[in-house]
Amino acid sequence: MSMNRRSLLSLLGASPALLAGARAAAATKAKDKTAKSATGKVGGEMKLTALNPRGIPPPITLIPMAKRLDTLDGKTVYLVSDGFPGADHFLAQVAIWFKKNMPSITTVYRLKAGGFADDDPKLNAEIKDKGQAVIMAIGH
Amino acid sequence: MGIPAAPIVTIAFRDLAQSNCAKRGMPLQRISYTPHPVWGKTDEQMYAYLEGNDPVSGKPFMPEVVAALTRPVTADESKTGTVTPPVGAPTFIDTADNLQQYYLDNGMTDTMPIIIPTEERVAAMLKATSHKPDEAVGKMTPAQGAFPAWSYTVQHCAVNAVMAGATPDYFPTILAIASTGISALFSSTNSLVSAAIINGPVRDKLQMNYGIGAMGPFNQPNATIGRAWTLMSRNLDGGGICGETYMGSQGNVINYSNLIIPENESNSPWPPFHVQRGFKPEESVISFFFGFCITQGQGGKGLGVKPVPLYNVAMSANVAPFASLFGALFLVDPLVANGLGDLGFKTKDQLADWLQKNTTVTVKDVKSMLFSGLPRGVDPSSFKDDDVIPKWQRADAFNFVVVGGQTNPYHQLANMSYRVSVSIDKWT
Amino acid sequence: MEKLGIPSVPLATKSFADLAKSNASKRGMPHIRACFTPHPVWGKTAEQLMAYVEGDDPVSGRPLMKEIIDGLTVPLSADDTKTGMMEVNVGPPVYGPDTLDGLQRHFLDNGMTDFLPVIIPTPEKVEAMLKGTSHHPDEVIGKMAAGAYAAWSYNVRQVAVNAVMAGCEPEYFPVVLAVASSGMAALGSSTTSFAYSMVINGPIRDKLNMNYTIGAMGPFAQPNAAIGRAWTLLGKNLGNGGIPGDTYMGSQGNNTNYNNIVIAENEKDSPWTPYHVQKGFKPEENVVSLFAGEDIRQGHGARRAGVLENPMFDDQISDIFRTLTSQFDALVICDPLTIKRLVEQGYDTKEKLQQWLWKNTTRTAKDYRDSAFVYTFHYPRALRGEEPYKTWYSCPEDTQIPYWPKPDNIVLVCAGGQTNPFFQVGNLTYRTSVSVDKWM
Repeated sequence: MSMNRRSLLSLLGASPALLAGARAAAATKAKDKTAKSATGKVGGEMKLTALNPRGIPPPITLIPMAKRLDTLDGKTVYLVSDGFPGADHFLAQVAIWFKKNMPSITTVYRLKAGGFADDDPKLNAEIKDKGQAVIMAIGH
Repeated sequence: MGIPAAPIVTIAFRDLAQSNCAKRGMPLQRISYTPHPVWGKTDEQMYAYLEGNDPVSGKPFMPEVVAALTRPVTADESKTGTVTPPVGAPTFIDTADNLQQYYLDNGMTDTMPIIIPTEERVAAMLKATSHKPDEAVGKMTPAQGAFPAWSYTVQHCAVNAVMAGATPDYFPTILAIASTGISALFSSTNSLVSAAIINGPVRDKLQMNYGIGAMGPFNQPNATIGRAWTLMSRNLDGGGICGETYMGSQGNVINYSNLIIPENESNSPWPPFHVQRGFKPEESVISFFFGFCITQGQGGKGLGVKPVPLYNVAMSANVAPFASLFGALFLVDPLVANGLGDLGFKTKDQLADWLQKNTTVTVKDVKSMLFSGLPRGVDPSSFKDDDVIPKWQRADAFNFVVVGGQTNPYHQLANMSYRVSVSIDKWT
Repeated sequence: MEKLGIPSVPLATKSFADLAKSNASKRGMPHIRACFTPHPVWGKTAEQLMAYVEGDDPVSGRPLMKEIIDGLTVPLSADDTKTGMMEVNVGPPVYGPDTLDGLQRHFLDNGMTDFLPVIIPTPEKVEAMLKGTSHHPDEVIGKMAAGAYAAWSYNVRQVAVNAVMAGCEPEYFPVVLAVASSGMAALGSSTTSFAYSMVINGPIRDKLNMNYTIGAMGPFAQPNAAIGRAWTLLGKNLGNGGIPGDTYMGSQGNNTNYNNIVIAENEKDSPWTPYHVQKGFKPEENVVSLFAGEDIRQGHGARRAGVLENPMFDDQISDIFRTLTSQFDALVICDPLTIKRLVEQGYDTKEKLQQWLWKNTTRTAKDYRDSAFVYTFHYPRALRGEEPYKTWYSCPEDTQIPYWPKPDNIVLVCAGGQTNPFFQVGNLTYRTSVSVDKWM
């Protein structure tokens, strides 16, 4: 640490550091090497042009929803958990509810493989082959 | 797939679920909600959810689920085509004060004052790299798999670097960060955070602080490079929106600075971190870590031993609050690095080996833990509750970086794992 | 000692040479005869220390012992015996006129910031900030010494300048004034790199739109960020602090100093008594409570953390407590979901949990005495007869003793957005609570 910096750094404390106003700053714009590309003034104040910091999101392809079943009666409904804690117990209760209230429905419980957001192609194929609907419990 | 599906989510995730569906192309997905949480509830309590109402729609829950599978799809629900999410105009024109407010109000900052990214300032920033403004730098997402990754150019990074208060000579380092696609605001309920270690000549070129106060707010490159990372993590991928693209239940203070740590190479008896990873000493490199938190190594039995503290013993004790899901990154003052040398640990590897063998837990304590757990690939039934096992199975869970100004032999430690190292020189 | 007429030679290690000289200067004895040894002394063997004694002062290059003896015996010069007053220069009250870039540069180069962009404190902005309080701009409200030097005093206007710089809105100003009035600096100078925290209670949290749910402790809400940041700037600019090697000696620095750990308590999602009410304030009062310590850690590494059924959070918090240093207390920040589960476990009040944690987090007296810093900070108190330290140092070494003297050393607050039942623990000690209403 140089002494010079240290004495500079004992600035402030006993007196406020107030500044001449922004208007005065604008008035000295001739000295400003980073002069803004002003596009006009509003009430005497200089306007700046500033850039948007956001990146480029990919366009989203809309996915039309699947045709619904006329009725769930007699159908096989897969109950799928993405693995979050409590999901298996929860879906077990859903199965019990169906047994009580809509007994003609067959429920099949499956745990999706992989992480929360991963697809499980084996499971998808099984559902396509053996099931007609999916109820999925999602969380993390 | 052609199979009707009814997603069920708890109400805590409502915003997330809806925006996630929209981002994946199914904005009108028929989601049903239960109260929160499901985790930890008894069977009876969960059944009560099923017989109750969806707290969002107010409608009876199970009939709503059944209807999601049976009610015919509408014209809107069957739409095809593409939709581009809006990110706003490419430039904004207003007074400096109004612009400061505009960026704040539109969620483009970390809520703190920025340097307004005028075309001139961005142009000056762009001069600090040979890469062209419209060159693609990378892709980033707040959470892999949960959100689509956005892409961004050198210019996008420059805008954020200006906003952070960085000067042009910091830009190659900032570009190196952006090139990894690692978000400092990773979205998880766990409030996970990142750190970055900087090695090579860039540290002195930028006059980074790796002495007294290194990890505190005392130096412009350390401070603004970390901040640029936060801003990029918000702006380059739509991250940092609480409840939607940021789900950390309590948040993490580390996100204010993101722990940018230049290594104190000249006062270290060990090879610098980047050399351990295969880079040449004269290369400038940034290395990334990821995990839960950072603690001070002020406790630990070994530290109280006189006259020479047993730093290795202290380090082994100090990792007690760490989850072995992540490793341990030790940030040691040069005095400690040299002191460890005196104790016989001439290399980082020797120390890592010692720590791996001597940092133990009982099976009973770890077997039920979500964030630690038994060693993988071993039959769990082969363990007895009272067995004592190493907390970490591999010595490479431990990493060491030297930083500090030698006012006392201290260390800090982060519950973090190493991810990747990238060249800063590549971005000059 | 010199003031008592006894000649003395201060002896420090060379790492503190700059500090020693400037300290002496600032205290009125610029020509003090300080001598220096190599660094460090801590951790060196008897042989190594004797080598220091027999060797040279690494700053002057002269043999150490001769230098010490000379310091005590060589007659004083005219300069050494000067009396009078020395003014401390803090610079002009106003800067400019200059461009915004020029002013930003000026503040940065003169060490008046945390090295991140500030809002330039123009007279207009400062006047607007002053409207956030009924107190007079010239009212002197406190003194602060971040480093080991004389405290500087400051008035409402000076605090306003720093609040503007930090990015505060005028309605945050009473909170910043309350913190400033405490005289507690957030950049305390020690070789240990301290952490600082504030807990805010009362209706002001919602008035300012503070964040106490998802992302509560992260950079997601302007009041949380700006108020915390203002505390750091106060320490630098009003507290004579924050200059590494001089008024800040933390060997490695602490990342939490950027914005400090600002916690607006989540009062509405918690069945427990808010912290300020525990401290004797009324629920409708606005209060800021200040803490200092080491760090903040997450609870994920507690033994038995993350169990899927019936998690025992009391056990987990106690487990994390065993990893804290004894120098500081515990500030536990629980997500509302964690509190829900704790209430199910039977802790329907904070006091019940504090009591259980205090009673059940113990260690042997031997482990206590072996702990770093306990010898430095507690043993002198034991020698003075102060309890419980006196007993902790005299009982049989296998006695189980609590980690802290009282249940009140354990502070519990609620913050979080209920995306999962987590908790964090700060190794932090309560210092004081200040009324924010007083500063409106």
